[in-house]
Amino acid sequence: MRSLLNIFKKIKFKNSDISEPSSHGRTSFQERYTCFQKLLSDNNSILEIMGDMEEKLSGDHIFDMHYVDSRCDILVEKVHSVIENLNGLSNRQYLSLYDTFEEINSVIQDSLIKKIQIPVTDYTIPFENVTRDMVSSVGGKNANLGEIKNRLNLPVPEGFCISAYAFKRFIDYNELRDKINLSSVNTVSMQELTMASKNAQNLVLNARVPDDLEKSILDAAAELERKVLSRTGTFNVSVRSSAIHEDAQFTFAGQYKTSLNVSPENLISKYLEIIASLFTARAIFYCKSKGFQDEDMVMAVGVVEMINAKASGVMYSRDPTDERKYDIIINGVWGLGKYAVDGIVEPHTYIVSRDVPGTILTKKQPKQKVMLICGHKEDAIDVRVPDYIKRMPCLNDEQIITLAQYAIALEKHYGKPQDVEWALDLNDKLFILQTRPLRIVTEKRTRPIPTFLPGHKVLIDKGQIACKGVGAGKVYFVTKEEDLKNFPEGAVLVAKHTTPKFVTVMEKASAIIADVGSPTGHMASITREYGVPTILNTEIAMKTLRPGQEVTVDAINRNVYDGRIEQLIEAGKRENPFKDTAVFGVLRGVLKNIVPLNLIYPENEEEFSPKGCKTFHDITRFVHEMAMNEMFKIGKGANTGKGGAVKLVVQLPLDIHVIDLGGGVENSSKRITVDNIRSIPMKALLKGMMAIEWPGPPPVNVKGLLSVIASTTVGPNSEKALSEPSFAVISREYMNFSIRLGYHLQTLEAYAGDSINDNYIRFLFRGGGASHDRRARRTRLIKEILERIDFNVEMTGDVLDGRMTKYNRATIEAKLDIMAKLTAFTKQLDMTLFSDAVVDWYIKEFIKKYYTEATRPYS
Amino acid sequence: MAKIKNIKGLMIPITDYPHMPYWATLEEAIVLLNFSYETTHKNVLVFDEAYRLLGVLDQKKILRDIQPQFSKLDSDKITDDWDKAVSTFNLKQLKEPIKDFMTPFNITLDIKDHVLKAAHLMLKHNIDLLPVKDSERVVGTLKMHDVFHEITAFIIKS
Repeated sequence: MRSLLNIFKKIKFKNSDISEPSSHGRTSFQERYTCFQKLLSDNNSILEIMGDMEEKLSGDHIFDMHYVDSRCDILVEKVHSVIENLNGLSNRQYLSLYDTFEEINSVIQDSLIKKIQIPVTDYTIPFENVTRDMVSSVGGKNANLGEIKNRLNLPVPEGFCISAYAFKRFIDYNELRDKINLSSVNTVSMQELTMASKNAQNLVLNARVPDDLEKSILDAAAELERKVLSRTGTFNVSVRSSAIHEDAQFTFAGQYKTSLNVSPENLISKYLEIIASLFTARAIFYCKSKGFQDEDMVMAVGVVEMINAKASGVMYSRDPTDERKYDIIINGVWGLGKYAVDGIVEPHTYIVSRDVPGTILTKKQPKQKVMLICGHKEDAIDVRVPDYIKRMPCLNDEQIITLAQYAIALEKHYGKPQDVEWALDLNDKLFILQTRPLRIVTEKRTRPIPTFLPGHKVLIDKGQIACKGVGAGKVYFVTKEEDLKNFPEGAVLVAKHTTPKFVTVMEKASAIIADVGSPTGHMASITREYGVPTILNTEIAMKTLRPGQEVTVDAINRNVYDGRIEQLIEAGKRENPFKDTAVFGVLRGVLKNIVPLNLIYPENEEEFSPKGCKTFHDITRFVHEMAMNEMFKIGKGANTGKGGAVKLVVQLPLDIHVIDLGGGVENSSKRITVDNIRSIPMKALLKGMMAIEWPGPPPVNVKGLLSVIASTTVGPNSEKALSEPSFAVISREYMNFSIRLGYHLQTLEAYAGDSINDNYIRFLFRGGGASHDRRARRTRLIKEILERIDFNVEMTGDVLDGRMTKYNRATIEAKLDIMAKLTAFTKQLDMTLFSDAVVDWYIKEFIKKYYTEATRPYS
Repeated sequence: MAKIKNIKGLMIPITDYPHMPYWATLEEAIVLLNFSYETTHKNVLVFDEAYRLLGVLDQKKILRDIQPQFSKLDSDKITDDWDKAVSTFNLKQLKEPIKDFMTPFNITLDIKDHVLKAAHLMLKHNIDLLPVKDSERVVGTLKMHDVFHEITAFIIKS
């Protein structure tokens, strides 16, 4: 199904037509702007979906395969769409991105198809030859029994596995795959599920076990009988399901059939029953919703010597209801363990101390009325518990201690708490029948971290969480890239802005806090990849925190506390109970080709290229960056005068012409005034420009010397540059304003919409009329002022390129207001900048005059 | 006959001199002059936006404009109290553009002119500083201080 869909997608993509904008004129601007807007919107959707998918990896949410599939489908569509729109915007400058996209997409599609590879093995495999790495051959339950028998030397019953390969032989021989075909079953309809289940089970039960397989099973059973009879004198078996995904995915536990006390002559029919249990309605539902294909439903079977148990039960290597309790809990009943597992009788309970080995802390022995025992010939029968044992413990102290030691050994071996089935045979010999990971109800679920921890000083209590968790360490300010070089191990990274460049310290940082930023930004995605607790958009971190100050960052409740709070750090440790499930594995697998960001440094052109893109995130970032560059170039096109510009009548010493891309201007008459401007950034800028005093007219009574000064870029005929018009290409959210002022050219571009990921200001400045050293001083002045007002500035030669991104609309407007003032302030200021000391004075003047608390963002 | 040197070697290149656009405030000009104190430049050249030289600001004129009565008072009546003195200054003018305080240049020198011609013009018009042109461009300024030094050095030597 999926592969068909892919073929369809590929055809669709290859044939898709990129509309080519008209070569010039206002239509061209509008078409390109439409591409840009669509691209921004898709860019946001992509970042949001990626963020959501990563959030799922935190383990706080249940999701199914449909979720993974549908998110991937949307991502594929959106990523393709941003590429298409970038090409629309740039006159098809980035066609090679399609190849990159196809490459990455095909890997993603492959990892979405979770196909089990069934290894070729014997049909039957004795437990002696089994270890836990053979899960795909013998299933989880068998693999674990083999593991503890052969690697831990714990007592397990004799037995053998009927392998997954045997299952395949059975299915293929009877052509059951095609006959059963579950692909079209609608898992939402209980009726359909039941029908499909009945059909499948009938097919299995009426199928024939091929001769070679039957012979192999019966031979293995005969061999087992020989071994067991020599020890016990009786021989029956239990036939147990051991599905390939069982145990690895605990939700399957208990889905499938187990037959107790089976006589060897009925082994083949019981084998069929167990295979049939693979297709119960419940099991089909789980398989399909967890992302398995029909082919993934594979059942191996364990044929295990039946222990005629005097007593049996379940043991937990820790308390499953309270993660802070470490003692071993043993439950037991007289007779077969099924009554303990199914909760039919109240079990005996023994709690054994972990700290003081050999100490039994509690014994609880309720009176047991009935028990389950092996029938004489077959099956299990319910009988009354004989009076003489009714009040006796089902295990003696020595047996209790031995079991506890087994539990500890198992937990140590598997590296996590275990849920163990045990049995005591008539000769008082203990056996382990099964072990699997124990699911513990974690404190996180029962006792969440308090929103505020009393008795501790809260330094910051706002922002947005990018990556959940708790981290503590000393505050380390990162204000420029070089700061990352000396980032101390375990420090808390505090910054004004976020940048993907933080990736270099993700392994060292114990938490990240930033004044600005979005949980769907690039850096946020990286924090989730590395699991660094992160709070963004706190607005006040740089002001509130001091370098070197010890803080605890609670990125679950959005609080930053003074000092190191062990209680929170401990509470923040999160164990993800779903991480071993198959669907989780699929999600983790696909995200490898979606989320990691490899394109960190735009200045590194070789890496920051279509070729350098390894993931969808890379493509998205590359496209967004290039799209901004392409939009920036629009201003140049506007100067050719082909844009259908209208004159803006305004009391400013500027000849402004406006090209509306949509929603930027109220009416479209030939002359418009400021009141007609609807463009958010343009309005903010004009407001600022009009609030400042501009240079007045030259002195009237002075004739002046009709000569210009030497040693400047200005020639006798360059005066006409002074009267060149300025063009603004605008829409409701967008502005690209090329301002001719004196002898320099500055382009001010801004996007101010509702999504902070879209918003930015870019400021490009070059030129001037004064001598080189004075122009350089003005560039320094602008650079320093821009940096003071939170721009990220880069210099190439005498071109200054300043950017600020990801601020909310109000802040963008406030910054544009300052930019307006800076524009007027620096008009031909290069002339004046006689020395560096003068530059410093002007910087201070500007900040004093125009960058007061009131104009700062967040006010 | 010893030929009199032309002023090319004596003038100060324009780039070494403080200059400002005419709309800069008097306060800015004073700041600039303070910063250029060590360079001994006592004037600020004033330009229009096309970098045409309009005039010059000199220190004496600035002081006169801040307190017009200053030069007219009897010397004995000048206060020795800073606060009192400052209270009589017209400080509002600090925010006014320098175009209102500058002295226009009506005369220029050519780079080929010789020192005596420069001295002649300076004395005749009572100006200590003159712009020097090279064809259509202003390339520098010539100061009375340097003209004086050049002329008197020749007299002493001979």
